[in-house]
Amino acid sequence: MNRASLHFVLAALVAIALPLFMRSGTLASEVLIFAMAAAACNLLLGYTGLLSFGQGIFFGLGSYAAGLTLLHTSLPLGAALALATIAGAVAATGVGWLSIRRQGVYFVMLTLAFSQFFYFLAYTFKDVTGGDNGLLNIPRPAIGPFALGESWAYYAFVAVLFLLVFAALQRVASSTFGRTLLAIRDNEERARAIGFPVRLFKITAFAVSGAVTGLAGALHALLIGVAPLSSIEYHMSESILIMTIIGGSGNLFASVLGAGFYVIVSDLLSSIWPRWLLLLGGLLVVVALFMQKGLWGLLERLVEALQNGRKSPVEAPVRPESEGRSI
Amino acid sequence: MIYLFQLVNGIGLGMLYFLLAVGLSIIFGLLHFVNFAHGAFYLLGAYLVYDMTERGVNFWAGLLLAPVVVAGLAALTEAVLLRRIYHLPHTFHILVTVGLALMVQELVIILWGPVGGNVSPPDVLGGVFMLGDFIYPQYRLFVIGLTLVLAIGLWWLLEGTRLGAVVRAGSESTDMVSLLGIDIVRVNTAVFALGAGLAGLAGALAAPIRGVEPFMGVEALGIAFVVVVIGGMGSYTGALIAGLLVGIVQSVMATLWPEGARLMIYLGMGLVILTMPRGLLGRA
Amino acid sequence: MSTQVPILAADNLGVRYGSFVALSDVTLSIRPNTIHSVIGPNGAGKTTLFHALTGRVRASSGRISLNGRDITHVSDDKRVPLGIARSFQVTSLFQNLSVRENLRLAAQGRTPLQALAPWRGVDPRGGALAVADEVMERLELAHVSERAAGELSHGQQRRLEVGMAVAAKPRLILLDEPTSGMGIDDVEAMKALIRDLGRDHTVLFIEHNMGIVMNISDTVTVMRAGRVLVEGPPALVRDDPEVRRAYLGNMITGDIA
Repeated sequence: MNRASLHFVLAALVAIALPLFMRSGTLASEVLIFAMAAAACNLLLGYTGLLSFGQGIFFGLGSYAAGLTLLHTSLPLGAALALATIAGAVAATGVGWLSIRRQGVYFVMLTLAFSQFFYFLAYTFKDVTGGDNGLLNIPRPAIGPFALGESWAYYAFVAVLFLLVFAALQRVASSTFGRTLLAIRDNEERARAIGFPVRLFKITAFAVSGAVTGLAGALHALLIGVAPLSSIEYHMSESILIMTIIGGSGNLFASVLGAGFYVIVSDLLSSIWPRWLLLLGGLLVVVALFMQKGLWGLLERLVEALQNGRKSPVEAPVRPESEGRSI
Repeated sequence: MIYLFQLVNGIGLGMLYFLLAVGLSIIFGLLHFVNFAHGAFYLLGAYLVYDMTERGVNFWAGLLLAPVVVAGLAALTEAVLLRRIYHLPHTFHILVTVGLALMVQELVIILWGPVGGNVSPPDVLGGVFMLGDFIYPQYRLFVIGLTLVLAIGLWWLLEGTRLGAVVRAGSESTDMVSLLGIDIVRVNTAVFALGAGLAGLAGALAAPIRGVEPFMGVEALGIAFVVVVIGGMGSYTGALIAGLLVGIVQSVMATLWPEGARLMIYLGMGLVILTMPRGLLGRA
Repeated sequence: MSTQVPILAADNLGVRYGSFVALSDVTLSIRPNTIHSVIGPNGAGKTTLFHALTGRVRASSGRISLNGRDITHVSDDKRVPLGIARSFQVTSLFQNLSVRENLRLAAQGRTPLQALAPWRGVDPRGGALAVADEVMERLELAHVSERAAGELSHGQQRRLEVGMAVAAKPRLILLDEPTSGMGIDDVEAMKALIRDLGRDHTVLFIEHNMGIVMNISDTVTVMRAGRVLVEGPPALVRDDPEVRRAYLGNMITGDIA
């Protein structure tokens, strides 16, 4: 079995295992929704070398697009999701096109500034977005013969989409396109010298990333029945980026780990202590200092340790931590 | 007359943005380090003044102490944590400083609550200034005056002193600084503290104007980035021009279209990027 | 021969960086299927000339044409499909990718837009991969095909650097100091390789090793201070008094084969 198929099997196992280990279908759905968003972020960070602080833009626009479609038109669910995907892709094309005019830290600052721009846009046009309150009472219509009202039914729908999206992203990553992105990440100057229009490739990567993130945003809005202002806020961009980095930027499955860890741990901590972000902040520092390959790197070291000699059973207790689904 | 009022307002706001951005800019210039915790230092400066005036400490003492405390904390952070990560890729600089910013924000909420509050300007400056039809709060005039003096002092520090020479040389090449026989480790700490202290001072000065709330740090970070993108990182003049520009645009728009004032800042940035990808001063 | 249309021609080419003039009034014409070298002391503008010819640096004045077509304003990446490929003086590879993948990418660069479709896989039989394998054979890199470029020896990296240009199947190949930093054995192999490339390409190369220059070039252009000093066949250039002065007399030693 090659690496890509192994990772797909792992992703499928996560989708199957979540209902077995978790009591809340809503939380389980949230894990997979953010796994999509983080994997899309990773296509930029890990494959193209672009650290985007603007993923919340596409997530938020996806939420609004789906919400507006379902509230104001009689279009079916599929159309709402498709429109959200398109909204994410279009916005990402624009943001990417402008942001990659500058490189390095300027690029990062631009993406952050654009995320502020879209936040104020959503905040200013209250008639459309509901402003501070968000778009309320978004319905969750059936898809064909399947009703999605019940939380685990919706989870099943999300899980199917998650696996489709994951497989599609894997396909993108291993295509000539994805391999060119890796080359651009490695040595942009050489990529241009051998004939690749680097900017066009970066913008396309943005469009793909934005499309998936828009879809994730739409699924999230349907999950909670609201398209809140917080979906397009700075903190959404920040969270998606954090999930991606905590998971590890080396492969797409790492982002699933990162999202799972972040969503579950934040749910757990926030129910214990409302100021849990303090601990998260500390965790980020720890990750940067000691865990630069993220959870995936930790998992790799663990597997290696287990293979190299079973003489140290002391390591066994570390195990559940790395998967982060001990609930 | 309303436009003159807003223009003067914009200059005051712009000078605060300048302080904020120039701090970010000199840190990056010397350390090649993007400080995502810069907004947190601004936040801290504002809350320190708020706390001290609430406790009955003289406003002037608070205004003096707040940036000093912020600079001290920043120096400590640099010495204990940040210098260990300079050699890592930018991703990890961002991760660590985002983490620090989150921690500061949550600490502020723990210590002072999630709601925020107001800071009264000192009694001496509580009144208004009148010149014919033109009526203007004295405190805001004081802010403009003080920041102008600071801007001149800072210019002198960067252009006329040994430290300034090192900062400017450092942005060219760190090796050269080592060749000059200067203890670069200490200069790094000092410059980081200076940059953070400027952000703290901007926060402290802003507190009586816009009040304090725990999320003002994020907004300040966004503004500082816009100013630096427009003006050019590492450029004093760029930060000054772009800061004033952003401040004035925001103020004037506040009259024309109150809800959209902050939106216009970012729209303006988009236009600059579209027409002048390298920013106003055209540096790489 | 001189009536032939040059494959690449530069007319009064100039490059300025601010007030610094890096290149001025360079007129150059490269005849097809020849090996043409550019020599000159450091700072003569050789690499700038390459940058201008490949489009990495914009020409401030003058005109560049490829087979009679004006390409002065064509961007660097778009010159590759037109048939210009280059190597760098300082090795610039995809360090983390395998040798085969480096060459496959370089071959793909000829038709870059094909790679823009995110669903299209890498064709395992034909196209770019076949070119990569062919180039690996020619450059004797087949035995390290799966190794990351960053792990190769210096000599191998320099050869791969040249291979990146070859894989684009160019008509004109520009090599910027292909032997820089090489040991004596590797230099001989590179000399043989360049001569071999000259059989099916037009080669323009910058070189400091006069042994190679005088040995295998059909034409030599000598540059100094951003201008062309002398141009002609090796024997003529070697005996030119101006060139001897520029090189302080004794640096040109290589034999003419």
